Amino acid sequence: MGLLLKQIFNFLKLLNSDTGTNQLAWGLSLGLILGFAPILSIQAFIVFFIIFIFRVQIGAAFLSAFFFKFVAYVFDQPAHHLGKAVLENESLNPLFVSMYNMPLVPMTRFNNSIVMGSMIVSILLLPFALFGFKYLIIKYRATVVARFKGTKFWKGFAATKFYNWYLKYDELYG
Amino acid sequence: MNTTPTTKTKKSKGPIRWEAIIPFTIICVLIAAYFHFFFDGHLRRALEWGGYKAIGAEVNIAKLETSFFNASLRIQGIEITDAEKPTHNSIVIGDIRFSMIWDALLRAKAVVNEAAVEQIAFGTKRSHTGKVKPPEPESNEPGMAVQLKGQALSEAQEQAGENVLGDVIAMLGGSDANVQLQKLQDSLPSKAMIENFDKELKAKQQAWDARLKTLPQGKDIQALNERLNKIKYKDFKSPQELQSSLQDLDRLYKDGDTMYKQVQATGDDLSNDLKAMEAQYKEIEKQVKTDIKSLEQHFRIPKLDAKAMSMAIFNKYMGPYKAKLFRYKALAEKYVPPNLLKKDKNNEEVMIQPHPREKGISYEFGRLNSYPLFWVKRTAVSSQAGKTPDAGNIKGEILDITSNQRLIGKPTVATLAGDFPSMQIMGFLVRLSLDNTKSESVIDYVFKVSSYGITGKDLVQTPDVSIAFTKATGAMDIKGSLVGLKKINLAMNNQFSSIDYAVSSKNEIADQILKAVFAGIPVVNLTVDAEGVIPKVPFSINSNLGPELQKGFEKQIQAKIDEARKRIQAVVDEEIGKQRAQIEAQLNQLRGQLDKEVKKAQAQIEDQKKQAEGKVEQAKKDAENQAKKGLEKEGQKALDDLKKKLGW
Repeated sequence: MGLLLKQIFNFLKLLNSDTGTNQLAWGLSLGLILGFAPILSIQAFIVFFIIFIFRVQIGAAFLSAFFFKFVAYVFDQPAHHLGKAVLENESLNPLFVSMYNMPLVPMTRFNNSIVMGSMIVSILLLPFALFGFKYLIIKYRATVVARFKGTKFWKGFAATKFYNWYLKYDELYG
Repeated sequence: MNTTPTTKTKKSKGPIRWEAIIPFTIICVLIAAYFHFFFDGHLRRALEWGGYKAIGAEVNIAKLETSFFNASLRIQGIEITDAEKPTHNSIVIGDIRFSMIWDALLRAKAVVNEAAVEQIAFGTKRSHTGKVKPPEPESNEPGMAVQLKGQALSEAQEQAGENVLGDVIAMLGGSDANVQLQKLQDSLPSKAMIENFDKELKAKQQAWDARLKTLPQGKDIQALNERLNKIKYKDFKSPQELQSSLQDLDRLYKDGDTMYKQVQATGDDLSNDLKAMEAQYKEIEKQVKTDIKSLEQHFRIPKLDAKAMSMAIFNKYMGPYKAKLFRYKALAEKYVPPNLLKKDKNNEEVMIQPHPREKGISYEFGRLNSYPLFWVKRTAVSSQAGKTPDAGNIKGEILDITSNQRLIGKPTVATLAGDFPSMQIMGFLVRLSLDNTKSESVIDYVFKVSSYGITGKDLVQTPDVSIAFTKATGAMDIKGSLVGLKKINLAMNNQFSSIDYAVSSKNEIADQILKAVFAGIPVVNLTVDAEGVIPKVPFSINSNLGPELQKGFEKQIQAKIDEARKRIQAVVDEEIGKQRAQIEAQLNQLRGQLDKEVKKAQAQIEDQKKQAEGKVEQAKKDAENQAKKGLEKEGQKALDDLKKKLGW
């Protein structure tokens, strides 16, 4: 739990800094995939693996996954209809038969209508989400963060010894 | 003072999180350690818990071993508590072991080439009493238990008086039913019905008498006739005279018509009432028959019928078999996947088989000769007597246990044969075939036992009579099928030989008859046939005991039975007969009134109407003739005048 909280604080810190835009955008986008995928599926494990191995912001991914899990829950019915339409498409049937009998692929649970529908939606949304999140982070930093840093409250707070100690601590152990 | 903190430029890190390798490795090691040290124990407990929940009785597993690299599972010492006798196990399996194919596991399928089940024993004593699940609270909807209760009730009703033998013995005792019969005759439902009917009929009779009086009488019709005779219908001197006559006739016709309609409406009403009363009377006659039947049941007048006798003796014996059959059916309904129970007949496609889930649908994109989700190709079953005290000699195999038989194109077939010497069960054979490749699942079964020992088996145990096998040797042959887990067909042949009977009755004559009959039957045959839709499966039980008992008792009590029946009939006739005759007379009177008064009046008025119509026609013709003659005369006159003018 401590590790998770630390990751979420790191996310907030990074969001309000000038660096790590790509890490944050990738974290939020992969969180979208994670939110739409069932927990016990091979694609969820792959996304987890990517999040852990590559320098993607973990806190952003988990926050995003948490948020998109609710979106996916609301989206269950349309996802079911979309997945059903795709899975019952006769022209795609030979492909699905091959996939179903391939090693590892059935572990994605693609043969379930909701999983299939959600997977299609999350993959289609991924590039838009990546660039969208990147744009929003930059916009957020340029407007909200810059304006906040210009306030007297922030300038006064940044002049305190406490803040300087915090900066030192963050530099050494952060 | 400079408030802006000096930021050191950190060394930029690459895209890979190298520092995560150690935590990742630790997590992997922890997972591996869990599976190595704890998983087997947890799985064992989970299976015990799941088994208890599914079967409703304690399940114990002595040892469970899994291997990740071999994808294998070995379960030893499985004990399943007998829910009906918790001190004993219903089945004990010494060892089950199998390993799955990694090639299939990578495709998310569980396929076992060969599994082994060894050391099977039945009915062994447990080291401690097994826990049995308490019955589930009753739901509002009628469940299987309610349905079974209903069936048991209807069966009990069918076997009126429940124990035919008890009734026979009561009849032999010759209890005097006359006093009771006198008391009961007042409470006969048919008597109450007939009394009510009589009251209603009398009220109706009065109402009809009053209504019939309002009908046009003979003098009214006579007056109508006189009016008709007075009206002139020929030799009219002027058109005014003709018109006046026609108007009179029209008025008379309308009066007659009104009378006719009144009589007709009355006739219809009376006829409908009569029909309703007759229907009601038929119901009373039905009730009389029912009353006679229930009086026969009340006084336990037995049916000396071989089939009823066989049913009476073997009904108790068959009880546990029936209960087991319905219990297994209920279990199957609970756990067999819905697609096996209810198949889409229109979708005979082998490749795509949808499974409805709570959310979404999971499709199975199989192809012939591919792996189904679950498949145990062969299970070898073997057991050697003597290794454990109650183990049997069993050899057999179960082929193709699978989640999708259509995909592999084979049914599941189980064949087991052997014997349990410790339980005196010799030469048993079980052949079971479960076929889900067709539109409806078909289970065919054969169960044979060449010989098995029977000790202390009660057949009939009532205050009047007791029949039991102290010792016997049985042989059994059961064949049948179950279609769609609903339609059952069962044929059972049971033979009992080397029998030591324990027969007694509190009635001396019955005791002698029973002992004489059973002494002459060294071999008892029992044939049970059942065919129907579960839970309504009527069992037909036949045995050579039935005809023998029938013959034995017939001489003694057939005359008594006939006499008792006659007495009941006489009492009912006496009580209801008088009223019945009265009612029939009243109904006949009503019918007579309908025929005599109403129909007579109807005929008379109709006659008057016809006369009036005839006169109207006559008047019209007469008027036409007169008009024609007038025209001819005028024409002749005009012609004569013309001739005169012309001087012809």
